[in-house]
Amino acid sequence: MEEIDFTKLEEIRTEIEKARKEQKTCVTVCGGTGCHAYGCLKVAQAFKDEIKKQYLQDQVDVRTTGCHGFCERGPIVVIQPYGIFYQRVHLEDIHEIISSTIIENKIVNRLLYVDPRTNKSIIKEKEVPFYKKQRRIIFENNGFIDPTDIRDYIALDGYKAITKALFEMTSEEVIAEIKASGLRGRGGAGFSTGIKWEICRQAKSDTKYIICNADEGDPGAYMDRSLLEGNPHSVIEGMIIGAYAIGAAEGYIYVRMEYPLAVRNVTIALSQARKLSLLGQSILGSEFHFDIHVFRGAGAFVSGEETSLMASIEGRRAFPRQRPPFPAQEGLWGKPTNINNVETWANVPQIINRGADWYSQIGTRKSKGTKIFSLVGKINNTGLVEVPMGMALKEIIYDIGGGIKNNKKFKAVQTGGPSGGCIPAEMLDLPIDFDTLTKAGSMMGSGGMIVMDEDTCMVDVARYFLNFTQEESCGKCVPCRIGTRQLVEILTRITRGQGEETDLKRLEDLATTVKMGSLCGLGQTAPNPVLTTLRYFRKECEAHIQKKSCPALVCKELICYYIDPEKCVGCLLCLKNCPVEAISGERKKVHVIDQELCIKCSVCFSVCPPKVSAVFKYTGMKKKRIMDLASKKKN
Amino acid sequence: MEVARQNGVFIPSLCDHPRLAPFSGCRLCIVEVKGRRGYPPSCGTYIQEGMEIHTDTPKLRKLRKAILELILTEHPNACLICSEKESCDEFKSTIRKTGEVTGCVLCFNNNDCELQDVSKVLKVEKVHFPSVYRNLDIKKEDPFFDRNYNLCILCGRCVRICHEVRGASTLSFVYRGSQTVIGTVLDKPLTEAGCQFCGACVDVCPTGALAERAIKYESLPGEKTKTICPLCSIGCEIELIFREGKILSSRPSNTGAVNKGQACVKGRFVIGDIVHAQQRILLPLIRKGKKLEEASWEEALNYIVQSLKKFKRKDIILVASPQATCEDSYVFQRFAHEVLNVKNISSTASLSPLAAYQVLAVENGLKPLLNFKIEDLSKATTLFLMGTDIPVSHPIIWLEVLKAVNNGARLVVVSPVNFSINRYASLWLQAKPGTEYLLFGFLSRIILEREQTQNLSRIEGFSAFRKSLEGLNLSQSVELTGVEESLLKKASETLLKGEPAVFLFGTELTQSGSRNKNMAALWNLALQTRSQLFPLVLENNVRGYLKIGQHFQKGKIRDFNQSLQELSESKKKALYLSGPIHYPAKTQAEFLIVQDSFMNETANRADVVLPTPTFAETEGTFINVEGRVQKTRKIIEPLEESRPEWWIFSALARKMDYKGLDFKKPSEIIKEIRKTIPGFEKTWYSSLQRGKEIFIQEGRKGREKFVPLKFSPMAVETSKKYPFLLRVVYSLDYYKNLVLSQEIKGLRRIRNSRWIKICLEDAEKLKLKEGNSIVLESFSGEIKGVVKISDSLPKGMAEAQLLWNEESLFSASHLVFPFSKKRHSLSLVPVKIKRGSS
Repeated sequence: MEEIDFTKLEEIRTEIEKARKEQKTCVTVCGGTGCHAYGCLKVAQAFKDEIKKQYLQDQVDVRTTGCHGFCERGPIVVIQPYGIFYQRVHLEDIHEIISSTIIENKIVNRLLYVDPRTNKSIIKEKEVPFYKKQRRIIFENNGFIDPTDIRDYIALDGYKAITKALFEMTSEEVIAEIKASGLRGRGGAGFSTGIKWEICRQAKSDTKYIICNADEGDPGAYMDRSLLEGNPHSVIEGMIIGAYAIGAAEGYIYVRMEYPLAVRNVTIALSQARKLSLLGQSILGSEFHFDIHVFRGAGAFVSGEETSLMASIEGRRAFPRQRPPFPAQEGLWGKPTNINNVETWANVPQIINRGADWYSQIGTRKSKGTKIFSLVGKINNTGLVEVPMGMALKEIIYDIGGGIKNNKKFKAVQTGGPSGGCIPAEMLDLPIDFDTLTKAGSMMGSGGMIVMDEDTCMVDVARYFLNFTQEESCGKCVPCRIGTRQLVEILTRITRGQGEETDLKRLEDLATTVKMGSLCGLGQTAPNPVLTTLRYFRKECEAHIQKKSCPALVCKELICYYIDPEKCVGCLLCLKNCPVEAISGERKKVHVIDQELCIKCSVCFSVCPPKVSAVFKYTGMKKKRIMDLASKKKN
Repeated sequence: MEVARQNGVFIPSLCDHPRLAPFSGCRLCIVEVKGRRGYPPSCGTYIQEGMEIHTDTPKLRKLRKAILELILTEHPNACLICSEKESCDEFKSTIRKTGEVTGCVLCFNNNDCELQDVSKVLKVEKVHFPSVYRNLDIKKEDPFFDRNYNLCILCGRCVRICHEVRGASTLSFVYRGSQTVIGTVLDKPLTEAGCQFCGACVDVCPTGALAERAIKYESLPGEKTKTICPLCSIGCEIELIFREGKILSSRPSNTGAVNKGQACVKGRFVIGDIVHAQQRILLPLIRKGKKLEEASWEEALNYIVQSLKKFKRKDIILVASPQATCEDSYVFQRFAHEVLNVKNISSTASLSPLAAYQVLAVENGLKPLLNFKIEDLSKATTLFLMGTDIPVSHPIIWLEVLKAVNNGARLVVVSPVNFSINRYASLWLQAKPGTEYLLFGFLSRIILEREQTQNLSRIEGFSAFRKSLEGLNLSQSVELTGVEESLLKKASETLLKGEPAVFLFGTELTQSGSRNKNMAALWNLALQTRSQLFPLVLENNVRGYLKIGQHFQKGKIRDFNQSLQELSESKKKALYLSGPIHYPAKTQAEFLIVQDSFMNETANRADVVLPTPTFAETEGTFINVEGRVQKTRKIIEPLEESRPEWWIFSALARKMDYKGLDFKKPSEIIKEIRKTIPGFEKTWYSSLQRGKEIFIQEGRKGREKFVPLKFSPMAVETSKKYPFLLRVVYSLDYYKNLVLSQEIKGLRRIRNSRWIKICLEDAEKLKLKEGNSIVLESFSGEIKGVVKISDSLPKGMAEAQLLWNEESLFSASHLVFPFSKKRHSLSLVPVKIKRGSS
């Protein structure tokens, strides 16, 4: 193998930059998992075919890049260097894009993004409101880089930070820089990364490990996945710097099996980095040795907990254990271990490159930098957004997220994954950072944001998340294993209208027991959805219990479907679609639902033409009246 | 937690156990630590200087109670919180004859249950949550105990003891969340999941989830008494549970100095069935024509005295047992030497690795130290284990070896077979059976080349030793021993690193044809590397028997083969069997006395049968593998007319008008032993009963000397006629005349004495399936057996157990004996495998 030191790396960089200076037109197709699902690979191939057909190979490149974040609108195609942003590009559009945009410099208007508020088409990516308000530091290069080609990363100043750290800084200086930046762990708890490194550095041992936690398991969160898939080298570079700072010679990336693309891209990236002497013995000619293994996890949610993650790497069942000793004292194989989340690692090269001062200007007093959120749920612009810490919830949801779908009312946002809490509409002005979220009874978690509209029942949501943690509990400690199960039982009872007056008190007590008694973070935070629901949506809970009504009209047992005789036009649509033949009636005559047969599948509700809207859902007293009426008629 | 326990501060807990690492799962042992967030569990929290800990505050009480309530939702709790509990406990006895347990009154564990205790302490009166009955199938397919996971509270003790302490790792948590349950790999029965049935899981279970079948349906056990298990050379302290003179079961005793609360399948589940076995002989029997008829002691003894008079001294052969107590052995020896004046005494003890070691020592004037402490093995940094499957042969020693391995020690296994413990070994040297001495020689040679020899060269015999190694060419190692040169180098590095190694060697090493060579080469290697060398004997009192026997035979150990030769040569002999020996069906001694507790094939052919009691009915001492003197207790009176051996010999001596051999009780005998046999000076019953540690006294370590030996290769070869190499494993699954692995149903299922193990590939080649009957034929005879597929055997090798008292149709001893030096060794026989008639 050729000996590569840092001067050689710079030579390579200049070479690549030189070759790319010619400013070729480049069609970048988003290769993120979201766009994959929309068929981006076929689109990319079609571009290549079309370019070949038109003999444009010398003028136009096609590149499959990392995730652009705006997954709602995939497949996304951006024509660089102009930044022309086409969304929802399909195979039949490709010919047109090539012939008009690339050859004639004309915009294909129908593929542009239209701002729903102004109804204006937007040409450039950066001007799309979804991107406009974001501050992309970690994601900055995702859209430019082909993750399977290390040259793309190097061309954009990749691996510059490692040169700086290795040859201009001591390990202590690196730690001091990270500490000064105020970077806090992006995995959930938000512990200071610099201090964590320092503790591990100071631990006495001949062997130390670092781990990248990519066991992202929160439903609806996928920023780590996007990073590993789209820009694996930024994570790897962060890990090398971290290893240098801590004094580790071996690192692991623990990534779940369910992320095949991430596993693939990371593995490719590692082998490419090794070839350039960025990993292995004597990195870039220095005296520092370090290498990284990829460990594929079996996909248990609890494996994201650091002690159980290490147990999993050691080949044991992923059980968390009591801390202290913390991993920095006794971690993997009993050696001091530093474990950080994917996003945390990706922050590191930025801090080294641009300095702690620059970094600490971003964000709030105690939470620095940016944070990637995955914005999902009943929101117009689903996707990954990177914003500076401290941005108001409102801005994220309305300005970037484009508001609630179908002009419904915002009800709550659930942050921090299944063990986070639900934040109500009254708190929309809340600036988002680690501490405000914790204060609100939720948490930053890994950065999931599930937006819920008025049609969401909060009791049902709490039940859903509790059911998730109940199923994913490792089963080791009693409060988590049995406590969550009992919480689910009680919540289920309430959603079925079998709630008792004492249930809310019981929920509160039990949630507190689980929170205080559980062993690891999973159990200690699992009751958060219940507790925040009780805190912010108590009335809704009480309605379920006292009035047996579900105000959001979600809980099946508490609602009934009813066809308004005055509105029904007798079109037979609902009658034909009813799976249990509970609807009777004739053409042009009013249809009636047999309440005894009805299974509340909601098909009649959704097939009734919007112009007619004769099917209604009722709960509480109204439901009772309808049911009484129905049974009277039968008799 | 530990600190709290030591200081008498009670903290409730259900998952913590003194022998296990902290788990922090039950969350009942939570405490408040000043300055620390939340409620850390005391089991997993280590004490630090200046810590302020509160173990009992209203907050903690409330939280603990809430957590216990949660535990009780998944455990039948109706009885625990029943308002009638007190009067129920008083007036109703437990109803146990039921399969499913839905409350304490139906649970066999009632009143012996940690969950009950903790509930009482925390004063749970109501469970505020609905109960969940998990409705899991009760697992009853395995021998010895049932597993009812509906009662399980998932404390994980069973899983952890199986993994951490026993190294079997049979049990594990399966599934997650509320589905979590304890299970085996792919939910297989324990018999197929690598379980050794040591019962440790049963003993640590805080509930009735794991229920020993022997006592499950019995009412409450009456009494418990501690004694020593006689079934192997460890001598575990066990508690016998008995009621109205009937022994129900046994449990390892937590105070046992050697076993510390652990046992093996025999000590845990088998021993209870021995005393009251159907085969027990309860009255003296005398042959009348074809039948054995009951007789009085008077008649039987008179008959023996009269009959023995007809034989010349040299025509009387006596066989002793290495399972007998020191007292019995001593009286036996005096009876033989003084009363009968017979020299022809033999015992299977002379086949033991200790005997081989002693022979080497006697021949070369060495004085090896034999005493050691099993618990010290856990401190070793390098361990060499050879010639025995230690979790089966010496389970308790294995536990300490495992501890050492877990502490970072290097374990090297020398064996042709892939034992289950090899996964813990840092090196496995798969030497061809019978070539171990060559392997040791190679190691000696490599080390000699590396190490400074100055210190060694002063030792006597060094130059001869060095010279003898010169003939060994490393490049031949694969050809000669089957072990790669690189592995040998690694092994020698292991020996040179760190503290001196500990060599543990078992029967297989000293029963191959190269027995003496193995011993010598091993001795030299140990001397060269300053390693300690300990023979792992099998039977409980091999050390005691040999010590006493050597005293009477002036230091010599009688060759076992010679006795066999004599036995088979002439029919005109009187044979007095008070111990096991290979007794072929063809052999017909003119007069046969069998003195045993159980009937078997040989006893059926005897002229006189004398009933002896079992270990539970008599007292005496054993000397275990460590050299520790252990005392058994008389727990129940000898059944019916059975009498201790010392009593029988004394009575015979009286009948023969010999004066001076007339003992009334064992304490008189030990008094005499104390006086006459060097080494026994400290063996006082009173000290032993007080729990004092007493070891047999050893002389000072003798001079050091390298033993000369020739490295001429000799291996047992297979031939076209006999294509398989049979590995004969000397099995310990017998007690007196009772073959445990045949007569005890549970043990038969896990290691049937009639199994013949072969690997899957060979089985397929021979078109044999597990359970097929086969016939093994060697040059000296043939036996029947049943195919058992084993994944630990290499191709071309078969394995059979040798049990001295097995029925002759099945006994592997027929393939080994009569022994002839030219043909084969005592543990390796070339055989042919034939399909048997179903």
